[in-house]
Amino acid sequence: MTSGAGTETSQQEPGDDILLCYCTMVTLGELRAACRAGRWPLPGKENTGKLCTGCVGDLLYCLRLCGVDASL
Amino acid sequence: MSSSLSALLSGTFYEHGYDHRVEIIHQRDAGAHRRLASLEVALYDKDGALLATPAVDPGLEVLDLGALVGNATSTQERVMVVLDARYDDAIFPYRPHHYAYFHRRGSTAAPLYYAVNAALGGVPDRVGATNINNFETYVFRQQPFAETYSLLLGCLARFVPVQAQVFAYYGSRRIARDVTLAPKCHSEVQLPAEDHGERLARVEVKALFRLLSYVVGRRAGTGDLVLFDHLFTYAK
Repeated sequence: MTSGAGTETSQQEPGDDILLCYCTMVTLGELRAACRAGRWPLPGKENTGKLCTGCVGDLLYCLRLCGVDASL
Repeated sequence: MSSSLSALLSGTFYEHGYDHRVEIIHQRDAGAHRRLASLEVALYDKDGALLATPAVDPGLEVLDLGALVGNATSTQERVMVVLDARYDDAIFPYRPHHYAYFHRRGSTAAPLYYAVNAALGGVPDRVGATNINNFETYVFRQQPFAETYSLLLGCLARFVPVQAQVFAYYGSRRIARDVTLAPKCHSEVQLPAEDHGERLARVEVKALFRLLSYVVGRRAGTGDLVLFDHLFTYAK
């Protein structure tokens, strides 16, 4: 969200602090913000979901909720 | 909390009547006691219901699951114990794991030691291991040492169920079974010890994402655990 003064502010959404990927340390809030900004995958976080693979199901689910056409 | 910390979500299964202890960190050096930055524990029943979130000291070296579960719940059923840790990389020089020991009180079965299954995390990005590793396998000894075998499977996903396929191999034959687990649900999948006169030789689990999984062997009469081990991952 951008304020009138052009300063980046953030509004916490439910679950934003959930750690989605335990390998790249991406939270649900970071994923939502990146998707909103059209910046997914985040630079340096391209391997999210591909390391231990334990979060793949949750990751795909969340990306689709955010409007990203995601697949393995 | 520092963003330089790493994360590990592990899990195991506690059964009533066992002395079951998890070594959170193996302390090799009394002069440099290592500790997790944080540790949260959650207990779930087989239907995924949250039973308790008992507070634990992240500085503990050994966690007594019998005391933890006994104090937090009145259940006699199997409980999935989930350990959510944050840690500095320096405290786990090898691939991060907790280790554990258990023994059924009064049983003549040997105590078992095992690596606690890490279901989320434990593969830092710096490793660069990006092969999707959704096949796991376990090869059984040729000589039987337990009367019944099974898989204990748990789903640590937060939002979505997992559909898994379990393949049990008997000589040239195999038996396939589909398993669906909703988030935080767990199940024991029986593996017949024999099929058409052939002994159980191998089991495989195939799933979209990693499950909490252990291969289990029990004595027929008492149900005492005599095998409790994690499966091994195929690299694609």
